[in-house]
Amino acid sequence: MSWIVFVTLFWLAAWAFNVWLARSAFGQTRAGRITVAAVFGVTLLVLWEGMVRGLEINPVILPAPTAIAAKFAASGHLLWGDFLQTFVKGALTGYVLGCGAAVVVAVLIDRSPFLARGLLPVGNFVAALPIVGVAPILVMWFGFDWHSKAAVVVVMVFFPVLVNVVAGLQATDRMQRDLMATWGASWWQTMWKLRLPAAMPFLFNGLKIATTLALIGAIVAEFFGSPIVGMGFRISTEVGRLGLDMVWAEIAVAAIAGSVFYGLVSLAEKGVTFWHPSQRR
Amino acid sequence: MKKLVTGAIFLAFASAGAWAADDVTLQLKWVTQAQFAGYYVAKDKGFYEEEGLNVTIKPGGPDIAPTQVIAGGGADVIVEWMPAALAAREKGLPLVNIAQPYKSSGMMLTCLAETGITSPKDFPGKTLGVWFFGNEYPFLSWMATLGIPTDGSANGVTVLKQGFNVDPLLQKQAACISTMTYNEYWQVIDAGITPEQLVTFKYEDEGVATLEDGLYVMEENLKDPAFEEKMVKFVRASMKGWKYAEENPDEAAMIVLENDETGAQTENHQKRMMGEVAKLTAGSNGALDPADYERTVKVLLGGGSDPVISKAPEGAYTLAITDKALQ
Repeated sequence: MSWIVFVTLFWLAAWAFNVWLARSAFGQTRAGRITVAAVFGVTLLVLWEGMVRGLEINPVILPAPTAIAAKFAASGHLLWGDFLQTFVKGALTGYVLGCGAAVVVAVLIDRSPFLARGLLPVGNFVAALPIVGVAPILVMWFGFDWHSKAAVVVVMVFFPVLVNVVAGLQATDRMQRDLMATWGASWWQTMWKLRLPAAMPFLFNGLKIATTLALIGAIVAEFFGSPIVGMGFRISTEVGRLGLDMVWAEIAVAAIAGSVFYGLVSLAEKGVTFWHPSQRR
Repeated sequence: MKKLVTGAIFLAFASAGAWAADDVTLQLKWVTQAQFAGYYVAKDKGFYEEEGLNVTIKPGGPDIAPTQVIAGGGADVIVEWMPAALAAREKGLPLVNIAQPYKSSGMMLTCLAETGITSPKDFPGKTLGVWFFGNEYPFLSWMATLGIPTDGSANGVTVLKQGFNVDPLLQKQAACISTMTYNEYWQVIDAGITPEQLVTFKYEDEGVATLEDGLYVMEENLKDPAFEEKMVKFVRASMKGWKYAEENPDEAAMIVLENDETGAQTENHQKRMMGEVAKLTAGSNGALDPADYERTVKVLLGGGSDPVISKAPEGAYTLAITDKALQ
């Protein structure tokens, strides 16, 4: 009971502190904004911990954050192995292949109306296939190791990127293209100097969506057969073994990896599309 | 709004009131199939009704862990394998075996003869398919008993997490896969492989059999005499169902088929499954044989560096229910 009282008081105090912080001058600075977010996050964790302890929730249902952190610290080598297998080998390979293929196909589609009519609907069709249907088939084709996971990721990220790049290549208007023609620019020159740069905000939009899709695809694909390593393997087996602290540790790894990946792509976007109105301050 | 409030009050009374005492929810370990024929027969034949029970049978599936369902309060009693139940008990989920309709284990490793495997000594260097999700314990214990590491090293075996199908064997991605005598083995046969092309190792024959498909409840519920009484009735009716199913396998298979809401099972497969299942339930009247329990614990403890359970559990089974149910 005392835990419940403590977390309630802590929660109210942290809330008041955060409101005061957000209104103060410090709250308007960059460091201030980060502090406000950090206080909020820490409060959530304390609330979680206190509730689990206070209400004596069975760790099989919901483990406390401290238990998860302990598990995280104790099984570093396992988590690292899973991260390499699922994220680096499965998700990242599939991401690079899938996004690369999507850009190439988008340019081809742009070059030929024939492909635009033929390939786009096929891409649409593939994107509509549920992952639970595709994954077992790809596991059968490409084996149990990370190759089949990369293949699932390719299928998942291909369409969002393709659609975005196709839209991006159409983003230039008639006047701009006419101007290039007046200067005697070839198709490639127009592509390179005008249309691809104009498509960049669209491309990055697709790439950012694909970061999270890639991770989801790689993890879920492991549910359908895998060697005994990988984040999806660990999550699905530890649930069966009631090792919920390990499941949450994997979720933490996935969350961190996903956020960092998304952040890196966003940073790249800032560098490449600095000229775009959305990047202006 | 008024209707809603009345409804809510009615519901609250209903769940706390008299009929609730006779509601039993059973969580199966796997999808609706002849593996659980006894329960479906007992329900269909009205054996539960005769005891005054209203039994709900919840089918399982590849993403359902019965231990977790009962931990979350989603079931009163579950069908689970003893290794998973004892492992859960050690993790702090106090499950107790109240009855054991299955006498023998139906688990085996099925290998392609062309891989040259003739005995467990030939396993090192091969890839073996194993089910996880709590079903890996018997395999890991067996390998530990044999002294074969499962890390994929040169003198060990490479373990594949196989899905719940037999594709890895058909695709030759694994030399051996886990099968049940009553289910996956026949899927391999149905896929066009003859029994002569296969080499099978039954856990029962290898001396590493662990008890499968027992009935488990939460320990604290057993302290409630009303719950205990309910379980006595439930076990009595279930065993009546099991014995009926053993004697009338074809009828039992048809009852299972009628209860299969997914429509995924076929008559041929279920009748064959019922025949195989009857061999495993034969010899059990529902009461757990403590000797079988001790053997299971011994197998699980003999896990070498990574045993399934670290110490012999206490109070993991009770004979009180079956003593009353079967007197």
